[in-house]
Amino acid sequence: MRVASLAAYLYAIYKLPALARRLLGRAKATDRELAPTHRRAAAAILATALAMRGVMIKACQAIATRADVFPPEMVETLKQCHDAVPAKPFAEVRAAVERELGKPLGAVFARFEEAPIAAASLAQVHGATLADGAEVAVKVQYPDIEEIVRTDLRNLERLCRFYEWFDPQPLELLPLLQELTRHLGYELDFRREAASADRVRAIFADDARVVVPRIHPEHSTGRVLVMERVSGIKITEKAALEAAGLDPAEVVQELMGAYVRMILAAGFFQADPHPGNLMVTPDRKLILLDFGLAKELPEGYGLGLFELMFSMMTLNESAMIRAFQELGFETKTGNTDTFLLITRRMLARSESGSFEGEFTEEMTDELFEAIRQDPVVKVPSDFVLVGRVFSFLSGIAHTLGHRANVLAAMGAGPPG
Amino acid sequence: MSAASDSAEIAPDRLTYARDELLESGSYAAPLIAGGVRCHGGFDESGAYRSPRTIHRMPAVRAWQARLARDGHALLEIPRAAMPPQYPNVEQAALLLENGVRDPIVRTLTVISIVEGFGAIIRDVRVPDLASLVVEPIEGTALAHLGGGLFEAHARDESGWKDEGGHKQMWEAARDLALEKPKIPGDVLLRMMGRQAARRRPERPFPQLDETLERMLAIMAQVLVVEIFAEGTFDWGYRLLSNPKVSAAPEAAGAMVAHIRADESPHVEYLRTALSEVRARTLRTVDGKTLSGRSVVDGLVHRILRDVTRTRPQEQRDDLRDSLAEAVKVAPNPQRLLDELGALDTEWTPPAHTGFEPAAG
Ligand SMILES: Nc1ncnc2c1ncn2[C@@H]1O[C@H](COP(=O)(O)OP(=O)(O)OP(=O)(O)O)[C@@H](O)[C@H]1O
Ligand SMILES: [Fe+2]
Ligand SMILES: [Fe+2]
Repeated sequence: MRVASLAAYLYAIYKLPALARRLLGRAKATDRELAPTHRRAAAAILATALAMRGVMIKACQAIATRADVFPPEMVETLKQCHDAVPAKPFAEVRAAVERELGKPLGAVFARFEEAPIAAASLAQVHGATLADGAEVAVKVQYPDIEEIVRTDLRNLERLCRFYEWFDPQPLELLPLLQELTRHLGYELDFRREAASADRVRAIFADDARVVVPRIHPEHSTGRVLVMERVSGIKITEKAALEAAGLDPAEVVQELMGAYVRMILAAGFFQADPHPGNLMVTPDRKLILLDFGLAKELPEGYGLGLFELMFSMMTLNESAMIRAFQELGFETKTGNTDTFLLITRRMLARSESGSFEGEFTEEMTDELFEAIRQDPVVKVPSDFVLVGRVFSFLSGIAHTLGHRANVLAAMGAGPPG
Repeated sequence: MSAASDSAEIAPDRLTYARDELLESGSYAAPLIAGGVRCHGGFDESGAYRSPRTIHRMPAVRAWQARLARDGHALLEIPRAAMPPQYPNVEQAALLLENGVRDPIVRTLTVISIVEGFGAIIRDVRVPDLASLVVEPIEGTALAHLGGGLFEAHARDESGWKDEGGHKQMWEAARDLALEKPKIPGDVLLRMMGRQAARRRPERPFPQLDETLERMLAIMAQVLVVEIFAEGTFDWGYRLLSNPKVSAAPEAAGAMVAHIRADESPHVEYLRTALSEVRARTLRTVDGKTLSGRSVVDGLVHRILRDVTRTRPQEQRDDLRDSLAEAVKVAPNPQRLLDELGALDTEWTPPAHTGFEPAAG
């Protein structure tokens, strides 16, 4: 199993030298001293991911989105997993599309680009022109991906059990994993993805600043998705954004606004905001791509999340505790003091006693850290993808060097 | 004003306060508990409600106002005539509830609670270095205390702080008491945020001013107008929720709204005082010239009043219109109910003038 040998390799390059240093009584290595190690590790991780695709690429996308957590060498190397995974040869793509559509390529497309626009974890995307002249992007699922994902998930589950066995205060990982697994399974069904795209587009029907590419259902199947072709600047390309006259601070704010609207207000959201799935046009529109991972929240859950975020932003401990409970967080003891500890810890992060309305990466991390350390055992499964989204958004905000004001994103009007 | 009795022994002419003083509540004989939630404020020995953080804040605001008057400056007055009526009005709301149509009213009350909570954003308003942007001295004014406790006190009052609920939670409690913990319609936030999305970023009416200063003044004027018009909303809430025909807890729910209303008075007063202080002064522009504070404040207030009177009545109706036809279906005779509602409509035309029109020329 490739993952196991990768793990062994990472252990060897990180842990053994650290151990040796400790034995020799030397100080811990600094990040700078570790840079070559990070580079070697990243190369090894990337090689494994590229060979395996699927879940491993997903993991690398997450790492590469969190420039605030992982070393720069790692982020730099792995960011190609967002959209620049080496493509499958065109012959395979052509065969896959023809098999799916049940007709030759030329019967549907006037033109089909052999070189892909991009390629990521589950699919690669080619530019094409329909018979009526419409410019489209064709997302083609890697032929063997279903089998790969199934194996990945089995391995992941084993890994989690292994981890729970050793961790003295385990988070209950399995329910979280089950939630992720369920959605990964859905991601392979492009019909579902098309429906999700339509739903998100409807949420923004009255807001021209958010764009979701239109789907051509008549040419789409479970494994091939034909959609309107869009173009824009990858959201984390700060220099390119600025060169186009866009203000990264505004981009961060609009991104937060769009997610707050989907998650809190509509209760349905694109749950995969890694930078490969987000573009900004020079005329300040936000493009959302890739609805493979989308989540519907139970009725009322959005309002509960609103209460949680709102109470965090306004430093209201008692409201925060009520919100945690309403969302289905449970403590091992049933004692709410644990929530108070978590809230205090999170709020203590703010020196001024105020977050200035900002949902910071520290807050996301503090939340997860606090949950891990205190005996909260049950994180509600509906929260999993929400937490993941905010983690990604924090990472993007960090990369762009600006924070979003969440109260403003929720509609509280502009702050000063 | 409820704080008056407590503050008698504090020197009435003091003009400078520490941040902690402006945030100080003092002690209460009994706390305010709303719907099981500990809220801010509380009751004195005689059982009278005293607003939070007013021990020093109220006397301070009065002292600043007295100083303005001594110096011969008027206090800014927002004309109540510009205030659009609440829709649905009290009679319409009661009629809906009596017919078992609860969703629209629950939605309205929930929106009120959220909008109150949003008031907390005032603490995120950046306060520029006023001493360098205002020609005349600002020591001993409300203006000099905005970042030193006034904005923060306001934020805490609206959204609650630490282990105490604020107006947001008090409105929720009033709603839940009166309507017995109703189910909240799932589309509340979607409607609110949809409206927000449709709004454009406002252009800058005074580009020659320091941008932070302009934004701060614009937000203060906006909040002042919202706070004053909220009086109509409070009146509506009080009359509706204390009506025993439609409220399950007329006394408790009505009292809750009355407490909120009492707490709002310091907000209105400090904002109009600080804006009046600006009106009485001269502002430096970024190109080294000056501008009268009066022209800036009045210009901002004019724009806000003009926009609010134009958009707000429509927004309230839009909020309801789509859902009303659906919501009344639970009534015994939907069409008749709609007709009766129409007959109870409040006629209202916005005033032709805001009273803050820029001078001609
Ligand atoms: N409609 C489109 N127009 C232009 N480019 C597109 C379009 N859709 C997708 N792309 C490009 O193709 C890349 C991969 O597409 P997509 O993200 O949908 O695939 P995926 O395999 O589901 O990726 P992921 O690993 O993010 O789940 C995107 O990052 C984007 O760069
Ligand atoms: Fe993607
Ligand atoms: Fe207020």
